[in-house]
Amino acid sequence: EHSPSLCILADTREICSGPEVISCLRAVHGLRVQVCSLGTSDYIVSNRLAVDRLFQSELQSPGNRNKLSQRLQRLQGVFERICVIVETDRVRPGETSRVFQRTQYYDGVLSALVQAGIRILFSSCQEETAALLKDLALLEHRKNAAIQVPTEPEGHRRDILNFYLSIPNLSYGAALNLCHSFGSVAAVANSSVPALAAGARLSRPQAEELHRFLHYDFDPQLLPQPLQAKGKS
Amino acid sequence: PVTAGSIVVPYGHVIGNEKWRGSEVAQRLQGKIRLIFEDGLGLVDFHLSNRTCILLISEADLVAGDEFKRRLVRFRNASSLRGIVIVEKTQISDQYYLGVQKLVVLELGMVLLPVANQGEASQLIIQLVSFCVREQSRDRSANPFLRKQRAQLAEPAVLQAVQQIPGVGKTKALLLLQQFGSIHRLCNASINELEQVIGQTVAQQIYPF
Repeated sequence: EHSPSLCILADTREICSGPEVISCLRAVHGLRVQVCSLGTSDYIVSNRLAVDRLFQSELQSPGNRNKLSQRLQRLQGVFERICVIVETDRVRPGETSRVFQRTQYYDGVLSALVQAGIRILFSSCQEETAALLKDLALLEHRKNAAIQVPTEPEGHRRDILNFYLSIPNLSYGAALNLCHSFGSVAAVANSSVPALAAGARLSRPQAEELHRFLHYDFDPQLLPQPLQAKGKS
Repeated sequence: PVTAGSIVVPYGHVIGNEKWRGSEVAQRLQGKIRLIFEDGLGLVDFHLSNRTCILLISEADLVAGDEFKRRLVRFRNASSLRGIVIVEKTQISDQYYLGVQKLVVLELGMVLLPVANQGEASQLIIQLVSFCVREQSRDRSANPFLRKQRAQLAEPAVLQAVQQIPGVGKTKALLLLQQFGSIHRLCNASINELEQVIGQTVAQQIYPF
């Protein structure tokens, strides 16, 4: 049905919180799922799309507001496109199914997400979430944005990947692309903005940001004090 | 077929399709927002602003077959407005939801929000309107999910990155950056230049990196 290279990156946390999503992606849909420490999002589906899996109850409670907005704002710095999958909370054994009480707060959160241009999908269980992730991956593949580089660099390349991952606002996928498209860190550092955009599959503004970072003139005086003191001792 | 001309929505108002006059949604909206009814809105049910509108799909639409799909596709082809589709997801229409979601969100690239009944739809519309109004007044800080541009010093990040080079800790990273200034220049340093800063062993180790 689809090419065997279809690949999704999953965050390590998802092994605990969404084991059925991952096993479903692998077993039912035949996708390659690479579990790695993404940090930013739960899933990376293509070179530009990140997916976060949220429970309906998380959108219901105002206590989560700060955490959620920080997380999504950070994602927007890293990815061109963001999608959230709102999953119905699982009913634990022995618990009678809770009636979902829709609150004004919940509607407000949905409206804010829509206004921010974040795509929203609804899922009733982990199996459905897996199917939605597959559909998204397939769609991105058709739009020629799929992740198509090896996802497990080894040895020396592993060190280079860690270096790229420490660059702010660079996604795991972009770091993998850099590893794959450029022979060395020096080659990346000497590349023009268009070459970086093409090699890392980044948008123009993102490539400009990367270029700026690599050429940034370091001034030790501007380090936060504790860092500076420790560095000099 | 969408509308005769472009609709101008007065600030803070909602324009509703004539067919919703007297309905439960309309009754619940009235008094909370300023609702004006107009004829000839075509495919659209409610206009929230000059660029955002709502298409409402009832439980009956879902069960009745594919007519609503044709309506959505016609809207998407004819209009550049941002269309938000609100669908009545009930026990009866639940089975169709996944298919509708795939069409609306993945294929048409529109927004789809499920509600349980017309009452919930009206509450959701009220919230959407309040965000449309805030958007028009350019009050971006009101939306917690919009990214705020913040100027941040890159020094700590640059230092962090250089420490990822094998054999380089905090002290050596600082020495290297004080000498070479940027990652770009550090990458182009000769092995001799590196040896002068951090010694032969580490220089040979990091040069091939």
